[in-house]
Amino acid sequence: MSQAREAECPECSGRLNTQGTETVCGQCGLVVDEYRIDHGPEWRSFADDDTSPERTGAPLTQSRHDRGLSTDIGRSTRIKGRKRRRLSRMRTQHNRAQISTKRERNQVYAFTEIRRLVGALSLPRHVRESACSLFRSAQEADLLRGRSLEGFASATVYATCRVCSVSRTVDEVVDAAKASEAEHRAAYRALNRDLDIATGPIHPVEYIPRYASELDVSEAVRRNAEAHARRLRESGDTAGRNPSGVAAACLYTAARENGASLTQQDAADVAGVTPVTVRNTYTLLTE
Amino acid sequence: MNRESRRTISREYFSQERLAEHHFRSFNAFLDRGMQEVVDEKERIETDIGDKEGQEPVFVELGDVRVETPRVREADGSEELLYPQEARLRNITYAAPVFMEMAIVRGGEEEEEVVVDSTETKVGRMPIMVGSRKCNIAELTREELIDIGEDPVDPGGYFIVNGSERVLMTSEDLAPNKILAEYDTKYGDEIQVAKTFSQRRGYRALVLCERNREGILEVSFPSVSGSVDFVTLVRALGLESDEEIVHRVSDDPEIVKFMLENLEMAEVQTEEEAIETLGKRVAGGQGKNYQLKRANYVIDRYLLPHLHEEGVDEEEVRINKAYYLCRMAEACFELALERREADDKDHYANKRLKVSGDLMRDLFRTALNKLARDVKYQLERANMRNRQLTVNTVVRSDVLTERLEHPIATGNWVGGRSGVSQLVDRTDYMGVLSHLRRLRSPLSRSQPHFEARDLHATQWGRICPSETPEGPNCGLVKNFAQAMELSQNVEDEQGLKRELASMGVEGIPGIEGVDSMAD
Repeated sequence: MSQAREAECPECSGRLNTQGTETVCGQCGLVVDEYRIDHGPEWRSFADDDTSPERTGAPLTQSRHDRGLSTDIGRSTRIKGRKRRRLSRMRTQHNRAQISTKRERNQVYAFTEIRRLVGALSLPRHVRESACSLFRSAQEADLLRGRSLEGFASATVYATCRVCSVSRTVDEVVDAAKASEAEHRAAYRALNRDLDIATGPIHPVEYIPRYASELDVSEAVRRNAEAHARRLRESGDTAGRNPSGVAAACLYTAARENGASLTQQDAADVAGVTPVTVRNTYTLLTE
Repeated sequence: MNRESRRTISREYFSQERLAEHHFRSFNAFLDRGMQEVVDEKERIETDIGDKEGQEPVFVELGDVRVETPRVREADGSEELLYPQEARLRNITYAAPVFMEMAIVRGGEEEEEVVVDSTETKVGRMPIMVGSRKCNIAELTREELIDIGEDPVDPGGYFIVNGSERVLMTSEDLAPNKILAEYDTKYGDEIQVAKTFSQRRGYRALVLCERNREGILEVSFPSVSGSVDFVTLVRALGLESDEEIVHRVSDDPEIVKFMLENLEMAEVQTEEEAIETLGKRVAGGQGKNYQLKRANYVIDRYLLPHLHEEGVDEEEVRINKAYYLCRMAEACFELALERREADDKDHYANKRLKVSGDLMRDLFRTALNKLARDVKYQLERANMRNRQLTVNTVVRSDVLTERLEHPIATGNWVGGRSGVSQLVDRTDYMGVLSHLRRLRSPLSRSQPHFEARDLHATQWGRICPSETPEGPNCGLVKNFAQAMELSQNVEDEQGLKRELASMGVEGIPGIEGVDSMAD
């Protein structure tokens, strides 16, 4: 790893050479650095809590009930017989002791459900993290009382998607979730009311790439559709319209303009709306 | 043959398609049938639902498994085909979604079986070997490859996990399911041992047959501490009479003499007695019924598992196990009488190579087990909370994906082996070619193992006699010879056995119809 660094000599701005552990200026001979330090990226994220700069252990995460600070009793093939059985008993007890309260048990259950949902909807990793931390806040605010865990799991994922501008429709989330639609709505309403989630109206552009790949239309059509959606949004014509329907209409319009074959029915089916909705926005777009 | 034609043949062998041929064949076989076989072995996922009174049992039936070609799902939800170069540049995994048919069934012994839900669901993502059948660039022409930014002369044969190219090292193992006779020393005496690594469905059991200094045969196998008297074990397997045991071992008068010594020392005479004695060994201090149950379980489960086969009844398998033990005994005696020499472990006939497909199979098996355990847990949880049981809501696709990707990314394989996957050596083009055709012996490099490092005559034409690293790995890391051909296991073992039976081989279990035809 003895490669010359991009930096220059602080004295004479000459080129620096690194040999072994020493970094020396090629011009004046100043020793800039004597110790080899790994300048590679750190695995630990300091973004959220710059108060505790520990560098040991696995990275902390919100998506585990113990924030990733768990201890596991490992297995070894070398240990046999009585000792092995004792270790396995200890493992059982240890695993039981990891969850001490009902609250933590609920967290574990909800976090597995969130994890499953994030996987099933193929969402990026950070969504899982924020959804879990949103769930924590909901638990702190005592919103779960009388509402279902599954509902909260799906509602937090849905809310996080909206905040991160990777929106999914309610139908899509509920289809993949264990929760029923009523549970989901009850939970989302509670979250929205008490936790001030920073969500505005969904921009139809967020839906377009997904629908486009499902409808298998060309890249050009997709871009055209996105331009349409942006125009509609700027002119304020998306107000009061289902963003999913708008996205479908934009795709339909773009496909027509580019001469690609796409029926209103197909576009509407992908978006989960009726062809009538698509037609309404289409007439608005073509006017 | 003249020089020109030799050169032509040589070129043909070292053509681009053949460089990583062994990897492709092995991995394609894994995709085509290996995966399905692993799923069929698993067959169903049982749950604890229904253990309580008044509850109907629930289980999941596993059906066909299907792999697509690699694709990537973006954050915005769009999905498109993934090409190796994009995977390398974006530091993502070149993996294809895996789908499996699953059916949740409620009911069982007393109640009628009702299918609650049945769908094909995405169970995870399988890393795909570049250039294999499921690879997106598999059948592209040179020009097409250049158009999409791929290297047209890249040999393939490796995986891309998180953007880094990983090749699975072929490993050279001792052949399983084969009797190896050798000398050993115990308490200063030389004794004769016949060994078999019996392997079936990822389970590996070492069965040893020793002839101790008194000339008494003892057998040891997993789950029984110490060793069991040979005659007791054979009788427990249903080979009862003295005459039959002797006859099955050998007709040689000197071996018969040895065998009679053994029979004289025998503690038991009948099958029941033998199983009772075995029961005392495997479950000492327990109730009589449990002892018998446990003894039968141990025999069927841990003793020579490779002799089990679909569609062959237990009775026949057991007697076959007895015959097999007799052959091990014969090997011991022949060694003691110096009728034969100890088997050579370095002989290439006693070696098997584990190529990428075999390794992936091991990996997929454990990953599927992990997935099954998770599905079981999710089902029980959902049932406890009075939820509707649906396939889609109990399968977590990241479980399988992580179990498949992590070992390839780190090289820490199942079964505690490390360094199985290595970063492809891109020092130069030759480096890649050599790396893809490298094989590794699992022996420790810190010990001398002089014989294992030596060039063995049977490596002729198979292993390059000169390409091996200097230093501690010398002779343990080898490279394939240019014209090496790697044969694969047969797809249809039953068919092979039927063919053998029709050619006059007798006593193959599970082949009845042919026997009468041959008469």
